[in-house]
This record gives sequence, C-alpha cells and structure tokens, in this order.
Amino acid sequence: MSSRSLLVVDDSATFRQLLRMSLQRVNGISKADITEASDGAEALEKVKSSSFDLVLTDIRMPKMDGLEFVRQVRTELQRQDLPIIIISTKGADDDIELGMSLGASGYLSKPISIIRLRELVTSFLPE
Amino acid sequence: MTQKPEEILTLFSKSEELLELFRKGKAFTEELMCENERLRYRVVQLETEKLDLSDMLMKEIERVRLENKQLAQKIEFIDHRFHEVEQENKDFALRYVEVEEQNESLANLYVASYRLHSTLDPAEVVECIKEILVNMIGSEEFGLFVVDEETQELVLAGYEGEIAQRLDKERVAIGEGLEGMVAERGEPFFTEDAGEAGEVCACIPLKIKERVVGVIALYKLLAHKAGLTPLDHKLLELLAGHAASAIVSSKLFAQADRKLRTMEGFISLLRTR
Repeated sequence: MSSRSLLVVDDSATFRQLLRMSLQRVNGISKADITEASDGAEALEKVKSSSFDLVLTDIRMPKMDGLEFVRQVRTELQRQDLPIIIISTKGADDDIELGMSLGASGYLSKPISIIRLRELVTSFLPE
Repeated sequence: MTQKPEEILTLFSKSEELLELFRKGKAFTEELMCENERLRYRVVQLETEKLDLSDMLMKEIERVRLENKQLAQKIEFIDHRFHEVEQENKDFALRYVEVEEQNESLANLYVASYRLHSTLDPAEVVECIKEILVNMIGSEEFGLFVVDEETQELVLAGYEGEIAQRLDKERVAIGEGLEGMVAERGEPFFTEDAGEAGEVCACIPLKIKERVVGVIALYKLLAHKAGLTPLDHKLLELLAGHAASAIVSSKLFAQADRKLRTMEGFISLLRTR
C-alpha cells in the first residue's frame, strides 16, 4: 500500500490520539499521513485546501457536527469520491442512518475496536 | 458279351475323371490337415500367450493395488497433516486476535496515561477523564467525584448524563450511598453485566497509595455495549491510580501557581512603593 492521506476529525484530543495510534498500525499509513481537525468546520476547510484519501469523523462535535460536515462535503463541495467514515458516540442507530443517508461511506461506534477500524480503513484504501 | 470300343473309351475317360477327382480330394484333405495342424499350433501359442498375459495382468493388478494402498496411506497422511495445519492456522488466527486485542489494550492504556499526565490544569484533567470514560470505556452516564478535603465530602467534578439532577447539591457525604462507601472503604465495586438499557454499576476509588482522592462511578454504558470488558477493567484500574495522581498534581500546581502569582503581586506592589 502506498502513502495515504487521512483526516481525523474529533473534538476529543484523547480520541484523536487513539485513532492516530490505531491508524499507524495499518500498513502504509505513517504519522505524517494523518491530519487532525477538532470540529466539522475546521475539517471542511482542510478538505477544501488539501487532498485526502479518507476521512474519519465523530458525529457529535461543537461548531459543526459530523453529519453537517458529511452533507457539505457531498452537496456543496460535490466530493462524492471521498470516503467518509462516521463515528458514533452514542451508538444511536438514528445518527448512523442519517449519516449514511447523507452520503457517509461507513460507520464505527465508540469505543472503537482497532481490528474493525483496520478492516474498514483498509477496505476504503485500495492497494 | 463284348463291348464296343466307343463304350470302352467312355468308361476309361470317366475312370480318369474319377481318379482326378480323388486326387483333388486327397490334395484338399492334405491341405485341410496342414491347416488344422497350423491352427492347433496357433491355439497352443494363443493359450500360452493367454497364460502369460493373465500372469502379467495379475502382476499389474497387484502392483496397482499396492500403489493404491500407498496412495491411500499418503492421502491419509496428507489429510491428517491438512487437519493439523488447519488447526495450527486456527490457533494462529486466535493468537493473532489475542495479540491484536493486547495491542488495542496497550494503545488504549498508553493514550489514557499519556493524556492524563499531559496537562497540569485541573479542568483539563477532568475533561481528559471524561473523554476516557466516553471514548474508551463507552460509558453514557457517569460521575467523577473528587474529595473535598475541608468538608470531607465527595464533590461532583465532572459528569455525563443525568447524574447531576439526581444528586442534591452535587455533593455526597463519605460513607453514604455507593459512591460514599467506595470512597470510605477504598475498594472498587463492579456489577458483572449491563442491564437491558445499558445500566451498569461500577464504582472505583481514585487512590494515591491508601489515600482516596476521588471516585469514578459508571451508571450506564452505551447501548451497544453488553458489559465491561477485561480492557475496561484494565482502563479503570489505570484510572484509579493515574487519574488520582493527575488530579492531585494539577490541584497542587494550580494552588502553587495561585500562591506564586499572589506573592509576585505583593512583591510588585512593594517595589512600586
């Protein structure tokens, strides 16, 4: 797997660090490949200015939540090709269903399983 | 009785024909006997060949039977080896999952301890403990209580869910209620599985050596979590020690910082006079 660029969006620095550590264990992903954002608005700016192969975003965040971020990426930026994995904190089916209907490519529930995370990330990052 | 010469000639001619016929018959009989002899010889030859072929066939059948037996033994061996390798593969797969779980556990523990000691701001420490409880343990409703040294009460320092509404003045006397009893005894309390709505009861004391500085009480897990896993127990054990020292050190730092600023203020005031 060649070098990939990932964007991790979560208001919790602890969770971002955990995701970063977990993602670094996926083949071909290094520390430098992972960019962090603490809310949807910051993530949207980063998506506009940089190219990413995959975005992992929490749903519940201040300023702009993960669902609104997905909606804006799909409808306003017209980025249908960018895989976005939403991460649900509450494990609520409604949030996940809404996120998927807005165009999310996959979902995870907190607390995340590293094995499941790796499977999902690998499936969205082709060889 | 005298015969005419013509009749005699006719008779002679017929006798000659008859003799010729006999001669041909003799030659044909001799030919038949010769052919018969040849065919008898051929039958003997074929009989011999048949016996030879039968022997060869029997030997070939025996050889094939032996080969078949050897192949069956080889197949049995390969089948046995295949099952052994399949079992080894399953064992390796299980071991791989175990190692992955251990890695997951270590990553969680590393991040939790790293985050707890990354700040000396009491509010950030509380926020960090909340993040660990939500994101790593998957608790939907919990309370973080800190011991108030002056009143010897547990004060709600951080929470998620409706816990604050249930507590009167957000304070619990030590020795009262589950949280107070855990703080008094310094021993953790766990229920095994989450209830239907994710209700669980886990209460752990935050201790520095034998001194209890706070309590973490979990009341409800996220809907998709069936109960606390071994990793959750490890994280809670880690929190019991590291969160306590992080809370105390951040408090001490904040106090020292406040005192330092006050002293600096006084010194500055004295200098200006």
